[in-house]
This record gives sequence, structure tokens and C-alpha cells, in this order.
Amino acid sequence: MTGKFVSVLRGLIFIVIALALCGVIFQFAGYSALGMFHSVAEGAFFRPGAWQQSLRWALPLFITAAGVGISFRAGYFNIGAQGQFYLGAICAAFMAEWLNGAPAFVVIPACFAAGMTGGALWALWPGLLRLQSGTDEVITTLMGNFLAGLLLVYVTAGPLKDPSGSGQQASSRPLAAAYRISDSLGLSPTIIVIAALVALAMWLLVNRTAFGVLASLAGRNPTMVQWQGATVWRLGLSSFLISGALAGLAGTIEFMGPNGRLAGGFLPTHGFTAILIALVANLSVVGTAFVSVFFGGLASAALYLPIMAGLPSAAIEIINAAIALFITAKSGFVDRLLAFGRRSA
Amino acid sequence: MDNPALECRDVTVAYGSVMALSGVGIAFERGKIHAVVGQNGAGKTTFARVAAGLVRPAVGELRINGQQVKTGKVKDARAAGVELVHQSFALPPSFTVAEAMEFGSDRGAAIFTRSALQKRWAPHLKSLDVNVDPKRRVRDLPVETQQGIEIARALVADARVLILDEPTAVLSPSGIEMLFERVRKLRDRGVTVILILHKIREVLAIADTVSVLRGGRLVDGPVACAEIGAKRLAEMIVGPAVARTLASGDADAATGRGAPAAHTANHHTPADAGLVLDMRGVSTLSDAEGPALRDLSLTIKAGEIVGIAGVEGNGQRTLVRAIADLVDATHGTLAVGGVDVTAAPLARRRAAGLRVIPFERNTEGLSLSSSLWENWSARELLQSRLLSAINPARLKKRCDEALQAWGVHYATTGQQAGSLSGGNAQKVILAREVDADAKLIIAAQPTRGLDIGATAFVWQSLREARDRGCGVLLISSDLDELFDISDRVVVMLSGEVAGTFSAPYRIGAVGAAMTGVSQ
Ligand SMILES: Nc1ncnc2c1ncn2[C@@H]1O[C@H](COP(=O)(O)OP(=O)(O)OP(=O)(O)O)[C@@H](O)[C@H]1O
Ligand SMILES: [Mg+2]
Repeated sequence: MTGKFVSVLRGLIFIVIALALCGVIFQFAGYSALGMFHSVAEGAFFRPGAWQQSLRWALPLFITAAGVGISFRAGYFNIGAQGQFYLGAICAAFMAEWLNGAPAFVVIPACFAAGMTGGALWALWPGLLRLQSGTDEVITTLMGNFLAGLLLVYVTAGPLKDPSGSGQQASSRPLAAAYRISDSLGLSPTIIVIAALVALAMWLLVNRTAFGVLASLAGRNPTMVQWQGATVWRLGLSSFLISGALAGLAGTIEFMGPNGRLAGGFLPTHGFTAILIALVANLSVVGTAFVSVFFGGLASAALYLPIMAGLPSAAIEIINAAIALFITAKSGFVDRLLAFGRRSA
Repeated sequence: MDNPALECRDVTVAYGSVMALSGVGIAFERGKIHAVVGQNGAGKTTFARVAAGLVRPAVGELRINGQQVKTGKVKDARAAGVELVHQSFALPPSFTVAEAMEFGSDRGAAIFTRSALQKRWAPHLKSLDVNVDPKRRVRDLPVETQQGIEIARALVADARVLILDEPTAVLSPSGIEMLFERVRKLRDRGVTVILILHKIREVLAIADTVSVLRGGRLVDGPVACAEIGAKRLAEMIVGPAVARTLASGDADAATGRGAPAAHTANHHTPADAGLVLDMRGVSTLSDAEGPALRDLSLTIKAGEIVGIAGVEGNGQRTLVRAIADLVDATHGTLAVGGVDVTAAPLARRRAAGLRVIPFERNTEGLSLSSSLWENWSARELLQSRLLSAINPARLKKRCDEALQAWGVHYATTGQQAGSLSGGNAQKVILAREVDADAKLIIAAQPTRGLDIGATAFVWQSLREARDRGCGVLLISSDLDELFDISDRVVVMLSGEVAGTFSAPYRIGAVGAAMTGVSQ
């Protein structure tokens, strides 16, 4: 069996096991497991218009997950995608506020630049701390998520507050329609093109540049690349920056596209789902694209279940949680299963 | 022989299409020291792992003390009294000795105090002559002691059969003596010891019987060592065809029968050759890896092999790290291939022609979980810009060519480096580091753990590099090796040069310099 095939198989087995566990849980909770899966599948892909909805969620998730994959490959467990996503959205919002009134062809690129820079900077400080003094990036990026969440609450209730807003949740002033890159359904040619460009760029970076090979070597054995003359901090810092920038890009898209404004605590699980996606896809770029569609489908089913099927959307959270649970088992348990299959084959 | 201590019948292990063992049947008599030898990839480690229950053979049975034991079950093998000390140690470096012992035993209580652990393990260590304070941390201990602890740990559960996989590869000559003493004592206590070894001299010095594996098959064994000569044993290991192709001096040095002094004398480095290494007055700070260098000067001419002799831990590692810019020099200058690289990072030093075969093959030399082609390409890729485009198909093809030229046994360039046997892994490093543009090759213990054929091959390759005009710095704890291929031998003691010798070498003089005894 070739390595690629094994890793795809591994991802699949892994999802099937997680779904089986969910089935048991649903059944015990008094729902028909089959009925539940049926409704989920329908909500995700089979009802009319489902694909558009699923892609609407899948594309930003893919962009963030592709970035997460880059830093994981290089051996850095940057789990701060959520915070970097928020910072991207916040910086884009400030840029839009600042340039308000200027023509769209100036404002939109400037917002993208600001969003990606914001996300990258939010990954820069954990990266520097890690590479300068060995501070564990898991801790710093996790803390960064909380800080970014609070910052978001502050700016939406403070500097960017929409005075006409009356909801419980403070939110920023809406982005002028001229600057929006999609309607609130959230799928537009602009977003598709951006996601495609990210996919291409990341695939090239991982598979067709010296950086891709060296970062993956460094991720598996930093000592070895050091003996080859690599400046490990350069590889490391670039991967932090790329992953932050992509999360920031996804934040910008969510702000300028479907959401059109910032709200305190919006899309609170985006970054974590992206980490799941990257792990399930075994950090491959192509795999990430497919797995993103799957998780995008789940996200869209989560909205569909309570409204159309009268089922709790918590079902989707259970599925996500089960997959997350099995990720830790992945290396040991699923590999043993695969090895067993190989032996008896 | 009834009820042998350990017996394998018709054991076959395959990894994909590679037959690691095919139909091996062998029985080891109780209370003796048995050696198992064979080339790299012959299946020695696989055999040991089968015996310890770590690998389940496709067919075959395992008997311990005459009782059949389920194959592939570590617990069962342990219960029957078989323990294995691995080729690469597995002690957690940050543990204290007592913790490491507890961690390896089955009695581990859920809650314990440090002092209770220390009290519990001190007598056990003492009874095996492992003189170490159980409070010390594993990473601070010399490798001989670490090995002693590994052995002690294996003997916690009343082992009847102890298997040591290449225990001498990591040891200095005096460490090997200590190990052999320890092994003899165990035998006298009735433990059956199986040693996997490469050096014929060591086999003849310690073992009662020897068994030879080649290509996964048992060539012969166990044969009483008294009945077999070194030459015959060497032939059995490499096969008669290869035996004829070994240069006679190399064969002797590799089997450990001493290097003929005249062997390198016919090579003359031209007097006017340029310096490929020019180190002047280099000092460093000391660190965890070893003592500081103190005002060390060393030159190597193009077309010269300079050997570094010294008791392990006298600055050899620091020397290599200083040349490779992995430790900062506080004083002095360094030039490689005529280019001053005192302040240059390793990438620039490599661009000037520096190549390094590091001490630790599995950590410093290769990324075991990465593919062969990635490992092989790393040096080249680091010489280009980070974002420069690569063509993996072409890299793989060139990697294929290089590995084949070096006679590496592998299936595809996509396979993980960790799946190669030790000798083949070393050849991958050589294939990467010994290229046409190399000007100075640092070879640190390049033949550690290699079989006779591979050892001779490495030496031949270093000689060829020298003949092309490369300079070679060879660091080795094996004096036979140094004397066999060095044009000059420099002795290091406490981070300083304690003497320089040229052929013909007098072992007495070199040994005296190594220990700091003035003659
Ligand atoms: N996990 C593995 N996957 C694939 N092939 C393996 C694996 N382990 C061993 N092999 C192959 O099986 C053969 C025997 O390997 P083994 O490690 O037993 O050799 P060895 O005699 O111990 O060699 P060395 O002296 O180099 O340690 C080799 O060809 C090796 O490449
Ligand atoms: Mg071995």
C-alpha cells in the first residue's frame, strides 16, 4: 500500500468509527440513529441548495485549515487559529472603517492585506516566544485565542460599536454594501477564486518548493535539518506567519462576505474545526480540501436540523466531538487496525 | 541438548517483500554466552525482537526452556524470562536512575516517593555492579552507565535469557571491557546471554558460541568459538564472494585483528596541497555535550585523512560542533576550503565544501520518519532559496541513482529512513555527504554499528574522496580504524591537542597521549 492511500484510508476509517459512536449515542438519547444520519446527510448535501450552503462554510474553513496544516507540518502545534481568525476580521474591519468612502477597488484589497497581516501578527508573537526562548506554543496560542476573543468584544462594544444596534450582542457598524464580497448567503465567485488560489499556492508550497520538504523534515526531526545547515527559526517563523495569515484571511472573508459586520464572539468554533480538519486530512492539502467540504456540510446541517427536521443541532456538535475524540486515538488505534488488515491481507 | 534456554523453529518474518528472516531454526544452550553476527540487514535485530515477543513471525515457533511460548506477545516472552536491551537505548533522559528503573519494572506502585524509589533500587543496581547514584538524571550519565542501567532494568524480573542488541557499538574500548566483565558475571549466575555483535575480535573475546545470519537465513550456528577462526568467521558473515574482494588490510582492521602499519604508508599527500581545514586557536565554552575546546589548532590538507583519537568525552563532539557552527567559538579563526568561515553559518560553510557525517545517525544524520528522498535531498535544498521550485520526480530519480551507486538496499525512495537497517541508513548519509563538490568531510564514528563489508566500504569511500583531493577528518574510538586509514592521527585530551602521530603508529605512544601519561 502506498503512503497516500494509507493516509486517505486512515482518515476514512477514522470518520466511520466516530460516526458509529455517534449512532450509539443518538440511539440511547432516544432518536433513530439512521433517521438522524439521514437528516444530517440531507441537510449537508441532498436537499436543494445544500451544496451552496455547505461550500459557504467549507471555503473559509479550508483556508484556515490549510494554514494550520502548514504549521503542524513544520512541527509547531499552533492551535491559535481561532484568535488569528478574529484578529484578521478585526484588522479588516478597522481598515474598512478608516478607508470608508474610498472606491471599492482600493478598500477591498487594503482590507485583505490588513486582515492577513493581523492574523500573521497574532501568530508572530507565539512564534517568536517559541523560537527565542522555547515557550510552549500550545499554551501561548491558546491564550491568544482568549485574548483575541476579548479584544473582539471590546472593539464591537467600543471603537467600532454600531450605535443603532439594539441586540443583546454588541456588533460593529455594517460594512457598506459596495465593499461586500458576497451576500449573506456567503458564496460568491470572489470567495471561490480566493479559496482556489489558496489551495493552489499551498499545494505548490508543500509539494513543489524547497520550503515544503525542509519544513516537513524539520517538523519530524529539527536536529537533522540543523546539521544540514538550516536556520530552524526561519522555517519555523515562516510557518507560524503563513498559518496566521491564512486564518486572518478567513476572518476577513467572513467579515466582508457573509457576515458583513463584526459581532462579539461570532463563529466561536471556526478555528477549532479547522484544526480538526487539518488533522483528519493528515495535513495534506488535497485531503484538507475534501475534509473541509465534509465539515462544511456538517456546519450547514447544523442549521438545517432544528428548522427543517425538528432535530437538535447538538447532533452535529456530538459528531464533531466524536471525531475530535478519535483524533487522539488515530495514531495508535487506527494504525493497529490498518496493520492488522495488512497482515491478514 | 535438551531444553535449550531459547529455541526458534522455522521462524519466518517478512516486511512487505523483504524477508527479514526465512526459516530460521536455532537453539541456544543454557548458561552460556552466545554471539549472533551477520551483515547489516541480515535479520539480527528482527531475530531478537521475535525472541522478545515484539515481532510476530508469519510462521514458526518459539520455545523458552523447552516450553512453547506464544509468538508476538511481549508479556509471555517476559514471563518466560526473556529480556531484550535495544540497539538504541530507551531510557527517558529526564528521569532519575531510580525512576527509570521503576518505570521499566512491572511492580510500579501508583504512588511513590523519590526516596522510597531510590532505596528500592540502590541494592539491585549495586548487586549488578552498576555504580551510580540513583538520584542522578539519566541524561547526565556516561553511556556505559546508561547501558548498565538498561541491563539492570532488564534483569529486574529474574530474566533467564538476556539479549543485548549491538551493546558494544556505543562503547569505548574500556567500556567494552566493563560490559564483558558484567556479561561474564551474569553467565556465572546462570543467565543465558545472547549478544548481537559486529566485530569478530569481540565475538572471540567474549562468546562461547557464535551463530551467523546472512540475508535472513541461518548460515551456521551455534558453533563453539574455540572451533572457528577469525578468518573463517569473516567469510561466513560476508559470504565467500565478498570476502575475496575485501582489501586485506581492511579485512584485518574490520575484524579487529589489528591494522598492518604499512597499509597507508604508500599514500603521500603532496607537500604543497592547500589547506581544506585551517583552525587556529579555537576556544569554545563547555556545554552539556562535552568539554570546551581550548586554543585548538588543527589543519588538514587537500588529499589527507586526519584521524582524531581520544577517550570519548575529551572534546571530540565539541570539535565537530565547532566546525559545523553548532557551538559558538569564543576565540580563533576557522577556514574551510580556503574560505574564512569564522563568522559564517553552517549553510555557508557547507557551500564552501564542508560535509558532515554526524555522530548520531538516527537523530543528527537522518529524520527517521521522513522518506529517503527527502533525507537525501536536504543538503542540496538547503543550498537553494527557500521558495525555489523543486521537481520531486527528478529528485527521486537522482536519489535512486545515488543510493544505487552506494549500494543501499531499499525498496523505494518513498520509504521511511527508519525502515532501513543500520548499515543501509549510514550509506544514505554517505550518499548525501560524499559528493563531487565536497572539500572537507567530517566523519564522526562513520562505521559504528556497521558490518565488516560496509565498514570496508566506508573506508574505501573515504580513501577515494581523499584521492580526489578531499580532506577528511575522521573521529573514531576504534584505534584499528584510525591506524588503518589515517595519514596522520591527532590525539585529543580535555579539549586540547595532546599529540600528533604519523604512520607507522605505535599503539603505546598513542595510548599514552590519550590518557595523558607522559612517556
Ligand atoms: N519495520 C520494518 N519495516 C520494513 N522493513 C524492515 C523493518 N525492520 C527491519 N526491516 C528490514 O528487515 C531486514 C532485517 O533487518 P534487521 O534490523 O533485523 O537487520 P540487522 O541484522 O539487525 O541489521 P543491523 O546490523 O544494520 O542492525 C532489513 O532488510 C530491514 O530493512
Ligand atoms: Mg540491528
